[in-house]
Amino acid sequence: MHREFTTYPFEAQRHPARLPELAGGVDARRRPVVVVGGGPVGYCAALGLANHGVPVVLLEADDGVCFGSRAICISRRSLEIAERLGALPGFLKIGLPWTGGRSYYRDTEVLHFRMPSDENQKLPPMVNLAQYSIEQILLDRAKERADLIDIRWQTRLTAIDARERAAEVVRLAVSSPAGDYDIDADWVVAADGGRSFIRDALGLKLEGTSYEGRYVIVDILLRSSRPTERLAYFDPPCNPGSTVLVHKQPNDVWRIDYQLRDGEDPDAAIQPENVLPRVESLLAMMGETADWKPIWIGIYKANALTLPSYRHGRVLLAGDAAHLVPIFGVRGANSGIDDADNLAWKLAFVVRGLAAETLLESYSAERVAATHENLSYGTKSTEFMAPPSFAFELMRTAVLGLATKHPALASLINPRQTSAITYANSPLNADDGLPGAPGPVPGAVLPECPLTLTGAGGTRGAHLTDLLSLPALPGFTALVFADTPAVPSEVRALGTVLAARGVPFQAVTIVAHPSGDMATPHACDHTGRLWPMFGARAGTVYLVRPDGHVLGRWQAPSAARLTDAVDRVLGRPDPEPPGDAP
Amino acid sequence: MTMTDHERDAIYTALCKTMTRLGEPATPLFLARFALLAAERLGDAGVAQQLIADAADGLTPEQA
Repeated sequence: MHREFTTYPFEAQRHPARLPELAGGVDARRRPVVVVGGGPVGYCAALGLANHGVPVVLLEADDGVCFGSRAICISRRSLEIAERLGALPGFLKIGLPWTGGRSYYRDTEVLHFRMPSDENQKLPPMVNLAQYSIEQILLDRAKERADLIDIRWQTRLTAIDARERAAEVVRLAVSSPAGDYDIDADWVVAADGGRSFIRDALGLKLEGTSYEGRYVIVDILLRSSRPTERLAYFDPPCNPGSTVLVHKQPNDVWRIDYQLRDGEDPDAAIQPENVLPRVESLLAMMGETADWKPIWIGIYKANALTLPSYRHGRVLLAGDAAHLVPIFGVRGANSGIDDADNLAWKLAFVVRGLAAETLLESYSAERVAATHENLSYGTKSTEFMAPPSFAFELMRTAVLGLATKHPALASLINPRQTSAITYANSPLNADDGLPGAPGPVPGAVLPECPLTLTGAGGTRGAHLTDLLSLPALPGFTALVFADTPAVPSEVRALGTVLAARGVPFQAVTIVAHPSGDMATPHACDHTGRLWPMFGARAGTVYLVRPDGHVLGRWQAPSAARLTDAVDRVLGRPDPEPPGDAP
Repeated sequence: MTMTDHERDAIYTALCKTMTRLGEPATPLFLARFALLAAERLGDAGVAQQLIADAADGLTPEQA
């Protein structure tokens, strides 16, 4: 069978290398933060730091955004993060939203799953778009922040000296077609991907499991009106004994993943003469009759690996550089974006002198715990999608054959798609002041809910997560459930303490019923769903971090209790701030 | 009493891992023993007979 290959419907811009002003072969300016790697994680870290006013140099070895078949599913949590980075419109404009999927065993549908999507949501649970689009959207946004984000294209890291003088500075050696030079950085974010140079250079080792089962990944161009949903075929008539996954991407690109048979040679398996007939028979089975063209063929082996710590002195690792999670459940790019979001505000607070360096330890603690949760789900999905032994294969066959008549068993087929993770054991969490109450516990992300916002510009409809983006400079947010829009004195006292330290803070009162007070900015729970969702009474306060995770919650907390919770995050300030000697 | 999805997952994985450890030749005997223990704990002969029929439903002697 012969088919012409075609290209992705996307043209990447090429960017030239460029030298900064040098002094003796070294970047003339010492940089507070250098982000290594211009992928989704690197861009999100850079944009997050820029949101806090921190200048960033971003090194990218390539001359443009990525090529080929990589991440395609972006979760609701990632979209919330993109919104705070000012990049949401691009995702919603290009991405294909979806809410569920279907699994088939032979020719029978055995599962129709739906991800949580109710009237409270502002954003779809998932959108599909190619990674080159993800990167382009983030790059476009980074260009709008060119005052703070300095992208150095075609600039490859060749050495990192984080040992000598590591307590004060990290020296990076870089190479580009325009010339080689060094950069001195206070902090380095390693977002340089699964084959991280920095991870190797620091002698760090990933730990965990590598699975033997391999998947062939094929992107094709096909016009089809089929809706966007995740399709999984187990032992399909077109390819007996195999498992096939199908995802729709924008612009008529389709992603097809199928499992290699036991003993199949991976090198032979990705040859077009072996791939194209399988795609052809799959499309015939699906009833897709339009002409199609292959774009890209690759191979994938599931890994469940992580570093034990994501902080090494002044180097912070994020995304695939820190952990490799299986593709099943779409936790790769999404967990990396979550890393970047967690890291950005903490690093910004340290760089700006608002928090002690120990805050960065919590980045590692929280995100390592998140990886373990991601791996536990990802491992379950992988064991189902690519059974690692005869027993997993046998049990899967049993489940698939029983699920139609015994629907309870269908939960075992559910792909366990990524969802927001709670930092239940975070060192930053305050003791839960509302134990057993509904609503997000300390460490959890805010659930979504519509509300009405009254401010200088009048009254408008909004959602709870929008509140985090209200201030020009992101910081802590106190959600105060109250009878009247006025902020209680205890919460105002916290604001005074934080203002004196330069820590960004806002208090938003949320009233249960519309208030006649239009002069005081506040929010109103006009649907009546938000107060019960948070187990709120008048006087309930939720204190929220810049990344939308809850720090603490209380009924009518004192100013001291609120200040303690923030001190736990920032470290207690020195009694006398260090100043220049007279 | 029904299981949570999480509990069902854990049992599924425990069965898989136990059979992997025992190896393929010992697996039919392991499953037979598990079936006997489960039926005993059910304590309802009618339900056990129904489950035997449900488990065999759709299978043929040729099926691997």
